[in-house]
Amino acid sequence: MIVIFIASSVLLLDAGKIDEKHFSIPFIPTPLQLKIPAGWPKPSANIFANNPLTEEGFQLGRKLFYDGRLSKDGNFACASCHQQFAAFATYDHDLSHGFHDQFTTRNAPPLFNLAWASRFHWDGGVNHIEVQALSPMTASNEMAENVDSVLLKLKKDTSYQRMFKAAFGSNVINSQRMLKALAQFVGSLISSNSKYDKVKRGEDKFNPTEQRGYDLFKTRCNTCHKEPLFTDFSFRNNGLTLNKFLKDSGRMRITGDPQDSLKFKVPSLRNLSVTYPYMHDGRLYSLSNVIDHYSKGIQAGATLDSSLKNGIQFTEPEKNDLIYFLHTLKDTSFLRDKRFSQP
Amino acid sequence: MTADKRKNFWVLTVLLVFALSSSFKQKEISAQNLCTVKLIFINTIKGSRVVFNDSSYTNPFGEKYSITKLRYYVTNVSLVNGYAGFKEENSYHLVDESRVESQTISFSIPAGDYNAVQFLLGVDSLHNVSGAQTDDLDPANDMFWTWNTGYVMAKLEGNSASSTAVNNKFEFHVGGFSGKYNVLKPVQLDFPGKTVHFIGGKTCEIVVNADINAWWQHPNDIKISEHPIITSPGQFAKLISDNYANMFRIEKITPE
Repeated sequence: MIVIFIASSVLLLDAGKIDEKHFSIPFIPTPLQLKIPAGWPKPSANIFANNPLTEEGFQLGRKLFYDGRLSKDGNFACASCHQQFAAFATYDHDLSHGFHDQFTTRNAPPLFNLAWASRFHWDGGVNHIEVQALSPMTASNEMAENVDSVLLKLKKDTSYQRMFKAAFGSNVINSQRMLKALAQFVGSLISSNSKYDKVKRGEDKFNPTEQRGYDLFKTRCNTCHKEPLFTDFSFRNNGLTLNKFLKDSGRMRITGDPQDSLKFKVPSLRNLSVTYPYMHDGRLYSLSNVIDHYSKGIQAGATLDSSLKNGIQFTEPEKNDLIYFLHTLKDTSFLRDKRFSQP
Repeated sequence: MTADKRKNFWVLTVLLVFALSSSFKQKEISAQNLCTVKLIFINTIKGSRVVFNDSSYTNPFGEKYSITKLRYYVTNVSLVNGYAGFKEENSYHLVDESRVESQTISFSIPAGDYNAVQFLLGVDSLHNVSGAQTDDLDPANDMFWTWNTGYVMAKLEGNSASSTAVNNKFEFHVGGFSGKYNVLKPVQLDFPGKTVHFIGGKTCEIVVNADINAWWQHPNDIKISEHPIITSPGQFAKLISDNYANMFRIEKITPE
């Protein structure tokens, strides 16, 4: 009993020490647990290793995610290209819009289940979720801002002073804390409640069309779009021609290795009803177009994925069945989850 | 007080006094046994301190150039004696020619004999893959690639009539922490000719001269006319790092 009392008073004293000058109440944030859906693999080991997930950190990250002040002209919050109703992709846009009427160079990827990813961006150039946000924030055709300038804006706002203190124990506002808070929000976006998930949990049933589509999926698509995340996180050349304007060589841009030319990350298929258009540059506008690409549009090339040498053939009825199945991956409760919406 | 209680009281008192005195003693010993080290980096060209925008500099290929920016990471600093040594805690320092205070690295070591200083030129791979860092590793220091995660280990920028790039600029942003184009360079600088005794309670200065002209040659020829801009990890970054790994020498150690 006494030991517990002493230990707890030491803890309180220690917490108080973090910022004696401005802080009299002990710093006790509310811990949050990342809810891992049943049967899913373990998340990436380093996701919250040095960034304990807390309600206060999550809420700070959420506010930052929706704040235009992270961009140079105030117009481009993270959420301007990552819209919740589009599973945090840009709805109905091949490329997104950035600072001064500029296009981005790639299709904005949806944001969910990133706790299972270990490399970010279509080319995997970013190796940790905490440093991802630096890229759009500083890109001249996206948010076009610099980190110091963002921090100056945040420091002037008393609500941020309060929220940084609540999340991290003192009102120091620096890039590390800002990035860790953003990582807490974005890393907490879990989508696991689609019809497919309900069927897997025994709460719902596929109709016959969906079931035929699922059977097709398991034999022809599941190698790369591996369940339950619907990606194997690998980089592959899926037979798209080089866009002559963007000249995007994909993964090779990061590794410098010609073997990686035209390889892009295999995207998850979850929520794809709302993430169109598809592919790294958004060149295919419908699921029908995508399936036709795999059937008859594959471009041969030195780095083409071996599984696609002969394409993947589907009859018209099979194509229809597959599309019906793919729509069962839409997670409406995720798209409407108030915890993830603009605060 | 019963006899038992009195006995307990004395035992406790003796223990307390002993504990206090021994903790004081430890403090005395440790203060006497620590030596403050100041590791000072002086960036030079032809023996003189670097001056920004001095246009009289010439590289070994006769290319005239001036410098506008010079930074490099010195990390994992330790003083060694044979196989033994002492490593500075949380040892990450960005040496920046434009900030004098960044050119002195201060830390304490146990007094004793040492015969070399070791450090890593660049940020170790672990800190390139562990997310958002702060202080000298803050990405806002403009030594971090956002599109291809990793630290720029060293930067040299300037102008040269030999450069074909815009405004005759040349820019070397040297980085890459893994694979065959890893630019991380462990550096060991032996103390000239002998072991040095570091005296407890004293400050000792180790002055290191960095010859920036070493970036251009030995073992690899880097000509501004051929490679004015090297700003991504790869073959050419590696070639420069092979050169600049040799730029340091110990100028003096005081007191001696």
